[in-house]
This record gives sequence, C-alpha cells and structure tokens, in this order.
Amino acid sequence: MTDANNTTGKGHKPAGATSMSFYAKHEKIYPRKVTGIFAFWRTMGVFVLLGLYYFVPWLSWDGRQAVLLDLPERKFYIFGLTLWPQDFFFLAALLIIAALSLFFFTAVAGRLWCGYACPQTVWTEAFLWIERKIEGDRPKRMKRDKAPWTVNKLLVKGAKHSAWILFALYTGFTFVGYFTPITGIWEKLLVWDMGGWETFWIFFYSFATWGNAGFMREQVCIYMCPYARFQSAMFDKDTLIISYDENRGEPRGARRKGEDPKDKGLGDCIDCTLCVQVCPTGIDIRNGLQYQCIACASCIDVCDEVMDKIGYPKGLVRYTTEHALKGGTTHILRPRLFVYVALLVVVMSGLVYSMATRIPLELDVIRDRIALYRENNEGLIENVYLLKVMNLDSKEHKYDLKVSGITDLQLDTGVKQIVVKAGEVIELPVRLAADPTDLKKRSTEVHFHLQAQDKEKLKVDEAARFLGPVSR
Amino acid sequence: MQTPKIQRVIAILWPSFLMAGVATVLFFTAFDPQALLMDTRFADLSRLGAYTIGFFLFWVLTSASCLLTCYFQRPCALRGEPENQV
Repeated sequence: MTDANNTTGKGHKPAGATSMSFYAKHEKIYPRKVTGIFAFWRTMGVFVLLGLYYFVPWLSWDGRQAVLLDLPERKFYIFGLTLWPQDFFFLAALLIIAALSLFFFTAVAGRLWCGYACPQTVWTEAFLWIERKIEGDRPKRMKRDKAPWTVNKLLVKGAKHSAWILFALYTGFTFVGYFTPITGIWEKLLVWDMGGWETFWIFFYSFATWGNAGFMREQVCIYMCPYARFQSAMFDKDTLIISYDENRGEPRGARRKGEDPKDKGLGDCIDCTLCVQVCPTGIDIRNGLQYQCIACASCIDVCDEVMDKIGYPKGLVRYTTEHALKGGTTHILRPRLFVYVALLVVVMSGLVYSMATRIPLELDVIRDRIALYRENNEGLIENVYLLKVMNLDSKEHKYDLKVSGITDLQLDTGVKQIVVKAGEVIELPVRLAADPTDLKKRSTEVHFHLQAQDKEKLKVDEAARFLGPVSR
Repeated sequence: MQTPKIQRVIAILWPSFLMAGVATVLFFTAFDPQALLMDTRFADLSRLGAYTIGFFLFWVLTSASCLLTCYFQRPCALRGEPENQV
C-alpha cells in the first residue's frame, strides 16, 4: 500500500452532502399491532404454513417418515414416492414450476407471496407476536428501548430473547428433521447424544431464524431478496397493488370530528400516520408504490378502521390497479397471463408425464476390464460383465434376465433368481458365451433385458459390447 | 454513489451463500461423497459431514469471487488524479 492510502485512513467519506444520507444509521422499525380482514388472512397463513412446517416431519407412511429428504442415505421420500439422485430432473422441474407460479401470481395480484406466504414474513410475524406478548405494543417498545437499562428492562428483554431462542431452536431442530429421520434425532436429543453435524445444522438454522426474524426483518426483503428487486418486471397497469387514493385523500390534514373537510379545503386523509406506524418496512404508502412495500395490507386494515371511526367510506388505501386508479377499467385476462399459464401447463404436463412413465428400475453394465474375451473348454468365446441392478421401487421384485444380439448367445448368471429388495442395489457378475462362427465383427452389440416377474411394465434394456476373434 | 455498509456485506456473503447452496446440491447429486472419499484418509467422514464441509468450501470460494467483484467495483482514480479521491 502507498503512503497516500495510509494517511487517508479509515472513515474517509465522499464529499458532498447528498450522499451522506446513504450512511444514515438503520432506524429500527416498531410495527404497531393491526387487526382487520387482511391481518386475519395473514395470521391464518402463519398458522397454516408454520403448522405444516412443524407437523409434516412427524407424519409417517409405510413405517417410515412420510416426507424425508434423507441426505445421509441419498434418497428422497415423499409419501409413496422414492426419489434417487438420478431423479434430479424432477426437482429441477418442480423449481421451474414454483418460479413460474410466482410470476403468474405476481402478475395477477402483485406481491401476494411477500405479504402472506414468504417464510421471512411468516416467521417475522411469529417473532413479532412473541415480542408484543412480552414487550407490549409499539409505544411501549419504543419507550423501553429509549429508556436506560434497569433490572426490569433486562428481565423483559431477557424473557423475549429466551422465548425467541427456544422457538428458533425448535425451528432449527424441525429443519434438520426434514433431512435426517426426526424421531431419531428427537430420541438422541432427549439423552443429549446427537451427531456433531446434526447439532451444527440445528444451531446454524436456529441462529439464522433468530437473526432474520428477530433483527434483520425488513432488511432481508430490501437488501437480500432477489425477488423484491425484479418483481416489478412482472407488474403491469392491471396488476393488483396496494395504493393510497391521492385524489381522494389530498390535501391531508387534521380536523375535528363532525367538521366538513371541504370547508377547510381538505381531502379524506386525516394524517393520523397510523399507516406508517403499522408498516413492517417503515414506508409511507402515501408516497406512492415503493419497492420496499411487501404488500402486507396492514395499512389498508388500519386506514379502513380509521375511516369507519370518522364516518368516511373505506378504501382510502386499498387493493387496486394503476388502470383503476386513473379511472379506467382493469383487464384481468391479458396476454402476459396466458404466456405464464401456457408455460406452466407445458412444464407441469412434462413433469406429470415423466412421473407417470418413470420406471423404478435401473441397470448398469460394466465390462470386465481385465480380459477382453477368453475361449472356454467348449470352444465358445466368453465375455464377463458386472451388472448393477438398482431397484428404485418401494417394494421387492424378482427379475428375469435375457440377452440378445448374437445367435445362440448363452447367459450364465451363477444365481437361480435375481431378487432385489426395495431401494437396494445388487452387483451381479455374469458371463456371456457365443460360438466364434456366429461372430461377424470384433465387437458386436448385445442387449441385456431385465424384466420384473410381477409387473409387465417394469423392464429395462441396456446395451453392451461383446468382443471376440473374427472367424473367416 | 456509495451503498450502505450492510448492503455491501450482504452483497458479498449472501449471493455467495445461495450459489454455494446450488453448487453443493449439484455437486453432491452427481458425486456420492462416500465413493469419492473411499480410498482417502477421510473415509470415516459421514455423508452429512462431507456435505457440510463441501458447502462451506463452496461458500468460501463463491464469497471470494463476490469479494473480488465488490473490490473491482470501487471507482478507480482518473488519470492525473491523486489516489483515494473517490
């Protein structure tokens, strides 16, 4: 480093006051409690989604965990279905379907995902609920945070963090329970004898939950979420957005009850700032559509309540579209939606088709690398192969093996019957023998046909090379 | 224009975390760590351990890449200007 670098030192700030605001310390947001129809649906979302999250790993199916992405065993169990690393395609297709659905819902109804279903929102809601139960609502929390540290403050904060940490730990435990059998780690947890890696991931995920839902909150949406940055690309003038009706609300201003706002030249907004106080991302919806807005509709709920109280019609802040706001009509059916739906239908039918025609049986043929071929004592040419039979099905099967490709090709497997248990792989050395007069080329293509005895469709065909001398 | 510090930290650690996740999934879908480590002195390492270590190695690599991107994004001094006059 040069001297110039050293002398300037740390804390060198760019000249010009305009960029200073970007260094503004992050202001903590204290969302006020809100009730109303959209708050109800969001709470329902929290119950259903978190309920599913904590409950599903305990379901069992056929004597095993129903939904288990068993990483140590490299098998994914989803109810009756067993997926192997070879089935990676299905996972990719599922992700594409999820992404396209997100695009579709965004185009129709804006950031529905963000406001009601995103794990960040759902866990933040749960953490906020705990915070409110222990610390009280917004004014109390703000007052306590400003106040100096006392025993009481320490106790209240301690209680909140203990509750948060317990909840986060159980969340982390459940998360790991999706990847290793949950009853197993629960039993080990009770006697405090867990594997090191499981313990590590429980703590890692708990820490992430505690940090994201307790502290980072809206900053995750603003700085970390890629979707928040590109969602506007799916928006058009017919997309459902949450908007303040500027024409109706402005000019805003306080008024006494029963006073006609028109006398004072005021609009319907009484400037109570409740919409700002309830906002989990700390924006003022009256400034127009902002990318920080996660469309949670808290401002709608709280504003409707206020409008009710002062006897104005509801909907000063409401779900609407740009077209509707400008007095036009909203077109629900539009080309953009048809494109998303068409793509979804294509990928979904592709997935369904490939799932339906999936054959849960695999056969690998590996030629013996030591000898190309040998002549046995009957004068036949012999080739040795190693077959790997993978039964990807959820039950045991017996298989018949046949070969073709050369006239009178003989097969010797050395076993009476090929039996493979559910989800197992067997290795089977086999010998093929052919009369040298039947060999036309040095290398002839032969085929192994493996057929389950109990299921006609359960069969695979694998090609291999048979080597031998050419007779003239 | 300067970005907030938290945004810069996130710009290094977060995209690299996501990509490390993707890389881990792809890599370990294609290769079974137990088969890879069979003849090495890490043969006793459990699959979960191998995934974990693999993930963090990927993360180190991807965050190094993000760090370099952020570093090279800093404005350069123009010709004839002294250094550090951003």
